[in-house]
Parts: sequence; structure tokens; C-alpha cells
Amino acid sequence: MYATTHPRDYPACSGCSLCRLVCPMWRHRRDPRFSPEGIAKARQNGAGVTELADVLDACTLCGACDPVCPEDIALSDMIMDLRRELELPPDLAVLQVGYEQAAARATPAPAGALLLPGTALRADPPLLAQVAVLLGLRSAEDDGADLAVALEIGGDIELQRKRRFLAAIDGRSLVVGDGLLLRALRRWLPGARLQGLGEALGNLPAIRRRITSADFYVVEARAFHADHARLVAHYDALRKDRGCTMNLDLQRIAMPPRASAYPGLRMGPARDDLEQARWLLQGRRPARIVVEDAAERELLRRVTDVPVLHLAELAALNEELHHA
Amino acid sequence: MLIPPVVPGTVGPCPVAPDALKGIVRQQTNPARWNGGGWDAYVAELRAAGVEVAESMATRGIFATDAGGTAYGMPHGVVVARSTAQVAALLKAAQAHRVPVTVRGGGLTTEGESVAYGGVLLDMTGMSRVLHVDADALTVRCEAGIYWHALAEELRRENLDYLSAPLNMTSSVGGTLGVGGIDVNSARLGCSADQAIALRVVTPTGDIVECSDSENAELFQRVILGYGQFGVITEVTLRVRPYTPLRMHYYYYSSLRTAIEDLQLLDRNDASDYSGILTIMDCAVNLLVAFDSDEREAAFKATWEQRLRGYGEFGFALCMAGHYALRPWQIGEALYLLRRKQAVFPEFRRPEFHRDGRMDDRSVVFSRAVWKHWGSRNMVIPDLATSADRFVEAVERGNAVCRKYFRHYTLYCVGIKLRADHAPHYEMSCVPPGAEGWAYGCEFEPMIEGEVYSRDHFQSFKNAIYDIGVDMGASYYRFGGMMKGYIRRVFGDALVDRHLAMKRQADPAMILNRDVIF
Ligand SMILES: Cc1cc2nc3c(=O)[nH]c(=O)nc-3n(C[C@H](O)[C@H](O)[C@H](O)COP(=O)(O)OP(=O)(O)OC[C@H]3O[C@@H](n4cnc5c(N)ncnc54)[C@H](O)[C@@H]3O)c2cc1C
Ligand code: SF4
Ligand code: SF4
Repeated sequence: MYATTHPRDYPACSGCSLCRLVCPMWRHRRDPRFSPEGIAKARQNGAGVTELADVLDACTLCGACDPVCPEDIALSDMIMDLRRELELPPDLAVLQVGYEQAAARATPAPAGALLLPGTALRADPPLLAQVAVLLGLRSAEDDGADLAVALEIGGDIELQRKRRFLAAIDGRSLVVGDGLLLRALRRWLPGARLQGLGEALGNLPAIRRRITSADFYVVEARAFHADHARLVAHYDALRKDRGCTMNLDLQRIAMPPRASAYPGLRMGPARDDLEQARWLLQGRRPARIVVEDAAERELLRRVTDVPVLHLAELAALNEELHHA
Repeated sequence: MLIPPVVPGTVGPCPVAPDALKGIVRQQTNPARWNGGGWDAYVAELRAAGVEVAESMATRGIFATDAGGTAYGMPHGVVVARSTAQVAALLKAAQAHRVPVTVRGGGLTTEGESVAYGGVLLDMTGMSRVLHVDADALTVRCEAGIYWHALAEELRRENLDYLSAPLNMTSSVGGTLGVGGIDVNSARLGCSADQAIALRVVTPTGDIVECSDSENAELFQRVILGYGQFGVITEVTLRVRPYTPLRMHYYYYSSLRTAIEDLQLLDRNDASDYSGILTIMDCAVNLLVAFDSDEREAAFKATWEQRLRGYGEFGFALCMAGHYALRPWQIGEALYLLRRKQAVFPEFRRPEFHRDGRMDDRSVVFSRAVWKHWGSRNMVIPDLATSADRFVEAVERGNAVCRKYFRHYTLYCVGIKLRADHAPHYEMSCVPPGAEGWAYGCEFEPMIEGEVYSRDHFQSFKNAIYDIGVDMGASYYRFGGMMKGYIRRVFGDALVDRHLAMKRQADPAMILNRDVIF
């Protein structure tokens, strides 16, 4: 490995290709350009943002490449930085504006620990209500959805808006539904107690004990990779405890069921997503699939006949059985 | 010595004159760049056939060097392999236009063999799918550009595993079959190339041929361990096996010779399923021994463990503490050892890769450790392969060379079981000519540790190691492009000329991987 004094940026790339092994963008295209290595090497050879536009636009920002890079290059940060130099996808820039306006209208967050659900969970109000009850948390009306979109598409984040948002949630315990926002919050609020939705729900005994060895458990990639060193132990314990199989590869990296760019922001699953989801399930014979991310539930339901449930629905199932 | 310029498309004379110095400074590291004649017409023909040729600097730059990071060259263009038919079209046109074709799998060569000095670079990782798993027959058919890790990933879903592969997740199946592929179970199962049952190959003239030991056997024998000289492998059928986690044991030695003797004792007696040596320093040598089953482990413990002369970790730590207590002036060495232990050992014991005391994914554990603790933008890993009886001598001589060139270095030694029925595959390959039963390989890897060394320094080091091979009549267990400079000295003119004649016949314009051996 390079001496630690070297900048952890694309010049440090040794071309080991370990990042390709985990990159859904590469797996889908099998084209060296469409990989973190391809971007780093292209940068080493003087490529500018315009030349890399297609590749930058195709990245799912799953973050799988970050923990595997032996040179510790912050690869998805590099991609997000470069994306900021690209023109914004117009359909998605509109989304950001919409969420900004909604945030401006939002009522102040209630006191105490908070749930920041994110757009996928918010799109399913009964599920959101169920999650909030299970976690015993109130849901913030302003959950930073505009910031999450801006991070994803490389949009500008207005300083005032960011300050206002952080001031409202600083110092609290937060459960964050959006993996990309969670990752940013770890940096923005280093002292905060932050958890992803999957981790928080998975730690509830009422849910955990309903996970069985016949389940295929789908870890949400962004939240997982953003805190990989710690969470790998959490999921390893869950796997050993419940005997379920997971979407973790041999390197213990989460293989996301989606392979298209801007997952969750564009309407409906793209063809790439369906192919990726089918590949993920290929050769596996689970009796049930359990997901942490509501959007992935809808996608997986399109490619399998077995039940696909959100983690929170396991507790609901528990109650229904109980009532029956 | 004057090395005469080589006319493109022809083979120059062997550059090693009888009176030359043994080392050949940089002769192979950067061969002459192809002059580009006919490139435009070639590209036009490919594009007309629907083949995408990428010519941007950004794309070509991805392939500017290999894992070695000392040989640099740019292709004129890059083609990502998509199908056997596309590869066939590419080679046919390349023969006609005399355009060099460099095939690349994982690009983990260290002597520039997978670097293109002009011409077209064919990236095989575009063909990297598993095509069919036959769990009953224990075989898998896959495209040749697949990474071993990706293959393992899909096999694991069927509770299967490959037999042996480099301890490096990003080497490709096709690239490995051409060079060898040594695992810590090779002393028992042979090299990766021995696991291939059948291949689909595109010959240098663009014909598509299925081959195996029973069908087009001559082509099969030349392509296996053939350094990509006689064809591009596009599909492979491999033997596989049921997956088993590993029961690992580590023994520590202060003498390399003793550790090697014990390694060979285990291999000779089939006492373990996995074995290998990894050194931290000359006085800190690790023999790893592992098993696929409790029965094999118990048999080892009953019969062989007490015959090993290594210590357990605690015993060795005490031994070292005593050693350095009496030699306080060697405190720097002791601290290095401690630092290295603290950095590397946890990597081999990460809980997420272990269950019930067994290692789940050896290639992941080893490969991660290799890249993290030994990898860098320059990887210089010359190696030697000898018969079992000459191995200690080769390793000790190589070790002395390492001492001369670098402060710290690592040695990695493994046995390779040879299959008598595969003798025709081994001709002019990494398997040393005189070896019977087992060959042994050792790679010598300097620790770069953020230091900057000149390429000449690296090259002189490599030459000094390779010279030992020439002197001992050994071979190189992963072979480098150094072979171009060393091949005649190692194998003699008669054998090399025979293979060169075959190559000329198979590849009239001498376009395929032309700077690797010939
Ligand atoms: C860090 C590190 C660790 C390593 N560890 C090991 C180890 O444990 N054991 C071991 O055996 N080796 C090891 N190696 C060496 C390396 O793994 C082998 O050289 C490797 O198997 C080559 O595979 P590749 O896909 O990278 O081939 P490449 O480097 O891409 O190519 C090798 C040669 O084969 C040709 N070629 C590639 N693909 C094809 C194809 N489809 N058809 C025809 N020709 C082709 C190329 O032109 C080239 O000449 C290591 C190397 C590194 C850098
Ligand atoms: S973030 Fe995900 S999709 Fe993007 S380059 Fe990294 S691994 Fe690939
Ligand atoms: S993992 Fe890191 S060092 Fe390796 S190729 Fe990818 S970016 Fe480069």
C-alpha cells in the first residue's frame, strides 16, 4: 500500500480491479470504463468530466467500491464530486426543487429522537406508520429529502438550508431511511447517534426473531457501505443468529438489487434493475425475501413469486398471527 | 550489447548473446512500440463489422500498465470482448492488417505481458459470465474473462467451489489457464491449468475451435500454459468440487530451510489439504496448513503435527522475545516484526470470514491481505520454480538477492503437484523441465513501503532472481515476459525453435501476444 501521506484520491489507484468485482454498474455492462477503476485510471490519464459524463451518470452510488479499495480511495465521494461538475439531469433537478419547497412548508420537528424516513418509505404511508410505531419514534416532516436528492444528482446545497436542517436535528438520536443522507449526516453531525433503518429495525427482538433460515435478507447497500467496518459485524451476527442468507458477496459487500443510476428517483424499475434483481436471486431458493428498503420490495416482487416483505412487516405478520 | 531493431510482424533474433551479462536490463520491460501501419484500415473493417473500438485516451489509459506497474505501453485502441464470433472477426482482420493483438484478462501480470505496446488491446473481462453449472458432473462452463472471485460467487450459491486458483480475486480464468495458477492446495490438486477439461479457442487466424485432451488435443496442449501464444480462450469447462470451509493452522519457524523441509514432508505424505509458506522476515517464517474436513485434520494431528518443528504463535513470540532481549541492538528489526504482525495478522482472522473457527473464503482473505499489505502501484514479484530437491537452494539464493536489494521482503512458497498425463501441457511452461511428482515455486516480493525505487533497481533485482533460474536449470512458476529474454537459456534452442515454428504456422503475421515469449 502507498505510504499514508499520499492523497487518497485517484492517483493512488493501483489498478487492482477489486472495485470492479463489487460494482453493479460494471457487472451490468462488463465494460472497464464503467467502473471506479475505469474512472480513476481515466483521470490518471487526463480525462475530464465531460469525457466521463456517461459513466458518472451511470453510477448507482451504492458505495460498494469504498470499503474494498485497498488504497482507501474515497471512490463514491470522488464520483459525487465529479457529478457536481456535470449538468443536472433536468427531471431530477425539478424533484430537488419540489422537495425544497415541501421542506420550507414543513412543521418543526417534534422533540426527542427522530425518524427521518426518506422518500421511499414516505411513499408508503401505512408502512411508514408501522415503522414509526415499531421504533417508538416520531417522524420528521422535513427529513432532508431535498438534500438527499442534491447529493445524488450533484445539485447545489444551499448553505442556509443545510444549516437550518442540521440545527433542527443536531444532538438527537436519529434513524435515517435514506442511505446517502445517512452517510452525509455522519460527516455533518459527527457527534450524533445515527442509525440506518435496517440496523434499527433489525435490532428489535420482535422483528429479529421472525427472520428465519429460509429467508433471503436484502441489506440496503448505501447505509451498509457507509459504515461498513462496524455494520459488517452487525449483519454477521444477524446471519449467524438467524441462519438467513443475505445479499452479501464473498467479500461481505452488499450486492444491491438495483443497477440503474438514480435508484428510487426515477419512476419504476429500469430494465437494468430487473436484470440485476434476477441475477441476485439466481441459484437461490429462499422461501421469503426480507428487505430493508421499501423501494427494493417493489422491484423484487416483479422478479419472484416468493413473498417479499419489508422488515417492519415481519412484526405486523407476527401480530396478525397472534390475533388469528 | 546491441539489440537489433525488429521489423514489425517478424521475430527478432534472441537478444541474449552467449557473452552477454546474465541480466538483461529492461529488455522486456518496454519492447518496441508497433508503428501503427494499417491501423485505420483495420479499425474501419472492425467498425463495419459492428465491433466497437475505443480510441480515447481515457479508455486506453486504463490499460497503460499491468499489476507490476513497471512496464508501460498504450494500445492504439481497445476492444471489449463480447462474443467468440467477435473475437474471431477481430483476429482475422488483425492477421490481414498485421495489427498486434494483446489479450488481457485480469491484467495481473507483472512483466508487462498484458500491456499493449501499440495495436489493439482485447479486454476479455467483457466475456465473464457463468454459462452452466453441472452440480452432478461437478463441472462449470464459463466465459474465459470471468474473475475467479465472480466464479466462486456464483458457484457458492450451489454450494460448490473451484478447485484451485491464484490467491487473487481479480485474475481471470482464461489468463490463469495460460500461465499456471497456483493455490495453497496446488501441492495436492495441481495448478489451475490442470483443472481445465475443455476450451473454446479462437486461433490467431480467427478460427473457432473446441479443444480438450480428446478433441484437437494438440491445440489444447499448446493453449494450456501457453501464455496466450496459440489462441484466445473464450470459454472454459472446469472441474469444480463441493464447497468446504477451511480448518487453518499456522506454525512459526525462525529457519526458512526447516520450514521448507516440513512443507515438503507434509506434501510428500499427503498430510494436509492446503500448505504454503509466507515469510515476514528471514527469521519469522509462517507455515500454513489447512484441511477440508475434521477427519483430515484429526489424522494430521495424530500423525504429523508432532513431527513439525515450528512453534505455535505464543511459543514463537516467547522465542522471539528471548532472541531480541539478548540482542537489544536489533530493536528496529523487532519493532518491524511487531508492527507487521499487528497489521497483517488481524486481516487473516477477521470474524466475518470465519464461522465456528473455520475460514469461509480463503481467496478473499488472502487476496485482501495481499493487496492491502503487499500491493502498491509497483509490484515486483519475480519467482522461481524448481524440482523438490533443488528448492531449498533456489529459495536461499533468491533470499540472498532480496537481502541485497531491499530492506524488507516477503517470500511465498508452495508445492505444485504434477500430473504425469499432463506432461504434454507442461512443455515449455512454468513447470521446470526436470521436475517429477511435485514442482515447487517461490515468489520474492519486496516491500515497497512508500519508498521510491527506480525501474532499473527493480529490473536488476528481477534479473538477479531470474539468473538463479538459468543457473539452476529451473523455471519461473508464473513466468514473466522476462521469458522472452531468458527463454533460450532456460529451455535451449531446439525446444524453443520447435515452438517458434509452431507459432509461425499458427500465427503467420505473429500478431497475438507477440512480445510475451517470442
Ligand atoms: C498481487 C498478486 C498476487 C498474485 N497471486 C498469485 C497466486 O497466488 N498464484 C498465482 O498463480 N499467481 C498469482 N499472481 C499472478 C497472477 O494471478 C497470474 O498471472 C494470473 O493468474 C493471471 O491472470 P490474469 O487474468 O490477470 O491474466 P493477464 O495478466 O490478463 O494475462 C496473462 C497472460 O495471458 C494472456 N491472456 C489473458 N487472457 C487470455 C485469454 N482469455 N486467452 C488467451 N490468453 C489470455 C495475456 O495476454 C497474458 O500474456 C498474482 C499476481 C499479483 C499481482
Ligand atoms: S458507487 Fe456503486 S455503482 Fe458507483 S462506482 Fe462504486 S460500486 Fe460502482
Ligand atoms: S479498488 Fe481502488 S486501487 Fe483497486 S482498482 Fe479500484 S480504485 Fe484502483
